[in-house]
Amino acid sequence: MMTISILKPGILTTVQDGGRKNYLAQAVPISGAMDNLSARIANIALGNEEDSATIEFTYAAAAFKAETDLVIAYAGDGAMLVADGVQIPSERPVFIPAGTLIKLTNNPEGATTYFAIAGGFEVPDVLKSKSTYLLGGFGGLEGRCLKIGDRLSGGENLSSLSQKIIASIKGPKISWPAWFIPRSSLLPSDKKTMRVFPAGEFTWFSPDSIINFLSKDFFVGINSNRMGIQISGDKISKRKQDELLSTAVCPGTIQVTGNGEMILLMADCQTTGGYPRIGQVTAVDLSLCAQLKPNDTICFTEISFDEAEMLYIQQEKILQKIKLAVKNKFLS
Amino acid sequence: MSTLFSEFDFKIYPLSEQAVTLTFGSEIAEPTAAKIARFNLLLEANPFPGFKGCVAGYTTLSIFYNLLEVSSSELCGDNGFEKVSHYLKSLSDNSKLDGRNFTPKRIVLPVCYVADYGLDLDEVARNAKLSVDEVIDLHTRQIYKVYMIGFVPGFAYLGGMDERLATARKLVPRAKVAAGSVGIAGKQTGIYPLETPGGWQIIGQTPLKMFDSDRSQPSLLKAGDEVQFKSVNLEEFKALEK
Repeated sequence: MMTISILKPGILTTVQDGGRKNYLAQAVPISGAMDNLSARIANIALGNEEDSATIEFTYAAAAFKAETDLVIAYAGDGAMLVADGVQIPSERPVFIPAGTLIKLTNNPEGATTYFAIAGGFEVPDVLKSKSTYLLGGFGGLEGRCLKIGDRLSGGENLSSLSQKIIASIKGPKISWPAWFIPRSSLLPSDKKTMRVFPAGEFTWFSPDSIINFLSKDFFVGINSNRMGIQISGDKISKRKQDELLSTAVCPGTIQVTGNGEMILLMADCQTTGGYPRIGQVTAVDLSLCAQLKPNDTICFTEISFDEAEMLYIQQEKILQKIKLAVKNKFLS
Repeated sequence: MSTLFSEFDFKIYPLSEQAVTLTFGSEIAEPTAAKIARFNLLLEANPFPGFKGCVAGYTTLSIFYNLLEVSSSELCGDNGFEKVSHYLKSLSDNSKLDGRNFTPKRIVLPVCYVADYGLDLDEVARNAKLSVDEVIDLHTRQIYKVYMIGFVPGFAYLGGMDERLATARKLVPRAKVAAGSVGIAGKQTGIYPLETPGGWQIIGQTPLKMFDSDRSQPSLLKAGDEVQFKSVNLEEFKALEK
């Protein structure tokens, strides 16, 4: 069993898996990794199930200790990992011997980093998921952020692929292979422009506001969190003064509040909402949104719904190919 | 007796790449809510490949699915949205579900309306120019409809409160409202499932857990259910709390 202990928890560190998808009707949010792509890549690099539980770190300022020999992988733009002074590369499996001190150092690129362990982190399932939901106080480790002294272990049942990967890098000192999963190949080059398709109440907004929404720069507000990203900039005005009756919303939905500000809903968002919605960020760009920091620029460009569907299917196909390539490397 | 037209007449739009929303009306109305609850049941009994679940709104039903499963299915249509839309329309056209046989589940919620729990009972009574007993009587007499569950886990949007009880929210919200608190806000009544901040006028508390992540159905109430409040005394409350 592989175990770590938390020496410094960082500002918002939680256990997150692929999310809690079966209880939306009872208003239980999906939760799960904000940057789903990074979490999946870290897991795939270890031969884990891709939605296994990882630790989501927000920014750096965290540290932990290898209580046992570890085989880990990380991905995301919030921090870089340094193990006993050695910077370890992301998006690939890394062997770390027991006793090593691992620190997160600042990565100006983004906000969240996903730390995966061979076997996936073991915490109790709550409503069929290991994801932490802070507002509800359940999931993850006791429904809360990690704190000093917490010990977390990987699952004991390693896949045969995981076992092969571990055998390929295990040794007396920190080591990693040359191969890695290039996450950047799955991301667009422009990381600040989010592709959106019109949402239910798109036509309720004034033509000027719609033009501004799809052309101007907006900024990430400081009140952003796992529930949503506050977007400041030009106010969005309605041409139709209808009230929306509460209806289902989901991560990616952009709501416009009474004062004309936009909120982009993220992993821990409510399942229903009553604010009119101007756009829906395409699913594949939510991983980019998860990496935004307060004051970062964010802008929106329109794509068709057809294209949004195709982008999603395309990304899933590439991930399937990557999984197969890792598998073939070790199990052929 | 069969009719030429389906009882389910809805508009459909994409909510996300993996969800569509059906709109059954434009106003909060019990027949619309009943239709939504019936269509929800019909779909759960006849799911399509990749179907994950439904979320009811006041006038909508949103349907979540796995796009990869829908895309590779035999359903008719050029993309996932078309395939799901086509399936839902044919399901509603061929609906054999008899609305008259649909009986909603009724849940009786014990509520202790004494001063320790009914923090704002006096204020609500004063505002309505009624006695405290009359407030309790009006509140327990109605059958309430659960229109939807949303906002926080297990929170039920209830319809049907006697309008004489309508009271504006508190000017200063409380930093903490206990889980189980029963409140009034404008023309709405509802129960806080979790301890959260809140501005509703609190008239009592139920000892039942409205939301419990350890239960297989964590939310006590579901969209389409009916609710009746039943006044209990302090001893009964304590006994039920266990």
